[in-house]
This record gives sequence, C-alpha cells and structure tokens, in this order.
Amino acid sequence: MTDHEINRALSGEPEIVPSSGFAESVMDAVRSEAAAPPPIPFPWRRALPGLIAWAMAIAIAVMQLPHAVPEPVAVPRTVLALCAAAVALLISLAAAKLSAAGI
Amino acid sequence: MSAEDDRADVERVLAGDIDAFESIVRRWQGPLVNLAYRFCRDRARAEDLAQEAFLRAFRALAQWRKDSSFSTWLFALAVNLYRSELRRIPPWTALRAEAQAGRNLYDEIETADRGEAIRRAVMTLPPKYRDSVTLFYFHEMDVPTAARSLGIAEGTLKARLSRAREILRRKLAHWANLLTSKEAR
Repeated sequence: MTDHEINRALSGEPEIVPSSGFAESVMDAVRSEAAAPPPIPFPWRRALPGLIAWAMAIAIAVMQLPHAVPEPVAVPRTVLALCAAAVALLISLAAAKLSAAGI
Repeated sequence: MSAEDDRADVERVLAGDIDAFESIVRRWQGPLVNLAYRFCRDRARAEDLAQEAFLRAFRALAQWRKDSSFSTWLFALAVNLYRSELRRIPPWTALRAEAQAGRNLYDEIETADRGEAIRRAVMTLPPKYRDSVTLFYFHEMDVPTAARSLGIAEGTLKARLSRAREILRRKLAHWANLLTSKEAR
C-alpha cells in the first residue's frame, strides 16, 4: 500500500448532500434559540457583600488559628473568629433574602 | 462562496436580522455535513452534529474576530464540537470497523473496493491521527488550513500524518497477509 494509493482513496471520497429539509430544520432551531428568554444572570452585585464578608471571616479565622493552639488565652480569639463567621453568615442570609425578594 | 457574503450576513444577524443566518446555513451546510460524515460515517448523526455546529456558531457569532476568515472560524468551531461529541459517544461505524478489522476489511483489499477498505481503516486509527487524516483530506491536502481547523501547528500535523500513514500501511498489509495465509490453507 503506497502513499499514492492512500491519497487517491481518501481524496476521491464521494460527497454527500444534506437532506432537503436540513436548512429549514437548522433555522427552526435557531429561531427557537433566539426567541428563548436570556438566562438569568447570577446576582453578583447583591451576593458580593456576603461573599466579601465570608472571605474576611475565613481570613480572620486562618490568622487566629496558629495562635489559638499554643497559647492558653486563645479561647477569646477563637470566639472572635466564630463571631466574625456568624456575622458573615447573617450578611449572606440577608443578601440571599434580598435577592429572593427581587430587591 | 464569498468571504464578503459571509461578513455581510454575519453583520446583519448581529444587527438583529435572524433570517440572514439562513444564507450562512445554505452556503455552509454541504461542507459542515460532509465534514461531520467523515468523522462519524453515519449520515443521520452527521446532520445532527452539523445542526449543533450551526447553533453554536449562531450563539457565538459575536465572538468571531474578523482577523481570520469566517470559514476558518466556523470549521474550527465545528471540528471542536465533532471531536468532543464523538469522544463522548463514539461513532458506531468506528466500533464496527474495529470489530471487523480482521474479517471484512482484508476481503475488500483484494476484491471489491480498496478505497473503502482504506477509509474504514482510517476510522480505526487513534483519534489524534484519525482527526488529522480526516481534516487533511477534507481540506484537499492543504496543510495550513487543516492545521488551523485542528488548532495545532503545521509541523505537528505533518508529523501526525506521517505516523498515521505508517499505521495505515501496517494495518492494511497485515490484513492483506491474513488473506494470503487464508487462501494458502
């Protein structure tokens, strides 16, 4: 089997013709696509405060953690971190409520 | 087929005239269905794949940067779709070709249609070689165009084509040898 034979076999492949209704079928799908309402975007503006608060809470908790283990007076710091997390959670819940209410 | 027609139709579609997309579909339906057919060897599936490619093109029309031709962009989009869809659900013809590799194919080599035997052998190649061979011959042996459609360097395509031909020659010779030994018995 030579390269010439391979070239000849693969170059001379017969063409197929799309079925008669193909273009109409594509256009029907395109028109349905165009008529569909756009997807609802994620409410980043409303979610952002909650996300920032969460990020801050996690950052504070991580900063507190290395000191919390060796020092005996670490309990108040851990409590502080938990409070920060709780505040962040409340802000997130409020953002979610506002979002659900469509405000 | 004029690049200017493509550009004008795309601008009309982007301006809100959805019916202008029909001209694009009619202009490119043949090439896209034929390309899909070469990937899956199944006419019905080829049309489904081509339809999905047109839909994706419609959704992504605004992303076509006019520094390359519309056809290059459309083929690259279609090839990506065909490859990922066929990875997800392999074409039954490829599975059949693999299963029949030791049976019908070597009969075809000696008897009916060597061309058909070679085309079936292509379907049994590993995907990266099969795709390279498919695009190279679809684009009438134009290496730069085929490489652009596949999103690979021209050198990579040439290396894959060389390796693909080597595998094809070995497979076809193996099947021909099987036939010879069968006849000798």
